[in-house]
Amino acid sequence: MRENRKVKEERIRRFSIARILEHWLAIITFGTLVATGLSQRFFSLDISQWLILKLGGIDNVRLIHRYTGVVFMTATLLHIIIATVGVIIRKWQPSMVITKNDFTDAIHDIRYYLGMENAPAQCDRYSYKQKFEYWGILTGGLLMIGTGLILWFPTFVVRFLPGELIPAAKALHSNEALVIVLLIAVWHIYNSIFSPEVFPLDTSIFTGYISRERMLREHPIELSRIEGTPAGEMSGHGLKDLQEMKAEEPPS
Amino acid sequence: MKGRKQIIFLSLALFCILAFPLFPVRAQDITLSEEAQACLKCHAKRGIVKKFDNGESVAAYVDPENFKVSAHNSLSCSHCHVDFSVDKHPERRFRSKEQYKIKSSLVCSRCHKDAQVRANPVHAGLFKEGKIHICANCHGSHSIMRVAGGRKFTNEEQYCLSCHGHAASLTFKNGETLPLAIDKSVLEGSVHNKLSCSDCHYGFSSEGHPQRNFRSRREYTLASSETCRRCHFDKYTKTMESIHYTMLSQGNLKAPVCTDCHGNHGIQAGRVEKALSGKRCRKCHENIFTIYASSVHGKALMDENNQDVPICVDCHMAHDIRNPLTLEYHERIPELCSNCHANKAIVGKYGLSTDVVKTYLSDFHGVTLGFYKKQREALYKPARPIAVCTDCHGTHNIVSSKGTDAVLLKANLVKRCRQCHPNATKNFPDTWLSHYEPSIKTAPLVFIVNLMYKIFIPVLVIGLFLQILLHIWRYAVNR
Repeated sequence: MRENRKVKEERIRRFSIARILEHWLAIITFGTLVATGLSQRFFSLDISQWLILKLGGIDNVRLIHRYTGVVFMTATLLHIIIATVGVIIRKWQPSMVITKNDFTDAIHDIRYYLGMENAPAQCDRYSYKQKFEYWGILTGGLLMIGTGLILWFPTFVVRFLPGELIPAAKALHSNEALVIVLLIAVWHIYNSIFSPEVFPLDTSIFTGYISRERMLREHPIELSRIEGTPAGEMSGHGLKDLQEMKAEEPPS
Repeated sequence: MKGRKQIIFLSLALFCILAFPLFPVRAQDITLSEEAQACLKCHAKRGIVKKFDNGESVAAYVDPENFKVSAHNSLSCSHCHVDFSVDKHPERRFRSKEQYKIKSSLVCSRCHKDAQVRANPVHAGLFKEGKIHICANCHGSHSIMRVAGGRKFTNEEQYCLSCHGHAASLTFKNGETLPLAIDKSVLEGSVHNKLSCSDCHYGFSSEGHPQRNFRSRREYTLASSETCRRCHFDKYTKTMESIHYTMLSQGNLKAPVCTDCHGNHGIQAGRVEKALSGKRCRKCHENIFTIYASSVHGKALMDENNQDVPICVDCHMAHDIRNPLTLEYHERIPELCSNCHANKAIVGKYGLSTDVVKTYLSDFHGVTLGFYKKQREALYKPARPIAVCTDCHGTHNIVSSKGTDAVLLKANLVKRCRQCHPNATKNFPDTWLSHYEPSIKTAPLVFIVNLMYKIFIPVLVIGLFLQILLHIWRYAVNR
């Protein structure tokens, strides 16, 4: 979201320190929540029992889950507030907002995979895949926070609302947890580790930098904006062009 | 040759000595005194009756065969019946048979001196009570036998009952008494009817009748019940884990021991009808039994004699009765209830769901309970009490979850919730789906949420994998 980044020969600044720390925080809280949460959902599995006993019992696990949830909730809400404020005061561009282009890009990419287009879709700062993941996790996270609070304070909630809400919240919480875990385990882990384009690891969120080569391939519209090249001239760059470029340049 | 004769003579003599006891003294060989023979001329005939003032009577008949083998066979009649002789036959009057017997007993003391009689431990116990004892009640009259030996008993029981068939009692130091008379029919009807008296009353036999001192009747009972473990060691060791044993070892002598529940001489098989088994507990736990009797289980047992319902021992165990107020016992309750309520063969007949245990164990309270149990084993961690079956349904006062009782159960539910969730309001019990698997009828909201995700999750995962596969395929083609 932050637009000011330095252009250094081959490396382009993509994420600020704040974003890197935010990602680390997400890894830690998300990991803890998944470990303590799934072991409660699948309590009969040996590994769940092992983990829960290692953590000192079910009460401990529930406490860890709830307080980690509080940290996760604070981080999520701060993220939303800061992003909203940042966009409103026009410090940042609303680069995560879903636009019509995202849908056309998705269709374009599927056509490209099937061999009906010559080049993949040209993306801006965030591709439709990244936006899908971001909004999936964000809305899912908000749902988890809401239902999690309901499950934490059932007596309070039921004072105003029907009792069936509690088992419904439990169903939502545990099902949505599975959705998020699958989204991360399948989609995020593939795109940032196993995808042949980034393998063995997309390091940009850890170092804060991305190579110009990857920018050109994955975010050509943003690159052209940074480098001041009109977007139209960059549009010719497809995967094939990149491979040709690769052959000319010595490997770094 | 002389030596040989000696050997033959010696072996013959030895044979005679050894064989002598093999030929018992026969009645015919004994010659009664002349006086006795004279008396028996009349008294060996039946029909002579002595009448008393109160209308009672006694037969003046003497069986000569019995008398011949009695211990007193060498005596003349007048040795006991003083003043009577061949010439004299005085007429005497007695108020009753009892008075006659008492007077007759006085005759015995002419030969059997008081000190000699009291030396016997059996007599010592009797005399302590200060009552008048009639010798003939135990020893008989004309057929009197030597106490040890002489008289042939076919078994020990007969021997013991020759005294204990009569009213006698034991007095303890604190003044309590214990009747020592045993009803033969009770012994014969008991499950132990093949045992001999000394199998339980060890130390007692035709030779020994030890004198024991107990402070109270209870102390005697406690000591006697120790005898059971000689055969029933498995049950005995189980009772050592029971709350009754704990109470006893802490000095509460009222805590029940074997004989308090099983009885003593009339002992019956352990597995008796359920209603009867409950009566044993009722002896002490009257209040709880009354509450149980009005419960859904109790009513079925009392009104219909239904043998499927649990009685005290089904939940509390018969011998290793644990303290039901401990957390360990509380945690075992779902297991106890599931013995029947997860068994279709038992509860299926009554239209009850066998899912009740499963739905409990897979929900919050059940999962927590499962972990508390494991934590206790693995981490020795004390746990908080967590709601189990009885916390909502009640224990001894358990009611049916159907019909009119169900309304009562539901109405009381919020009170029970409040024991752990103090701020619970009237909506709160609805957070529990009452053992139902969520369906469109019972819990539409939960059902719809689950259904949506059942569709959404596979669609999402398949979609994502297809994307990935397409991506890899394109990458491979382009290389």
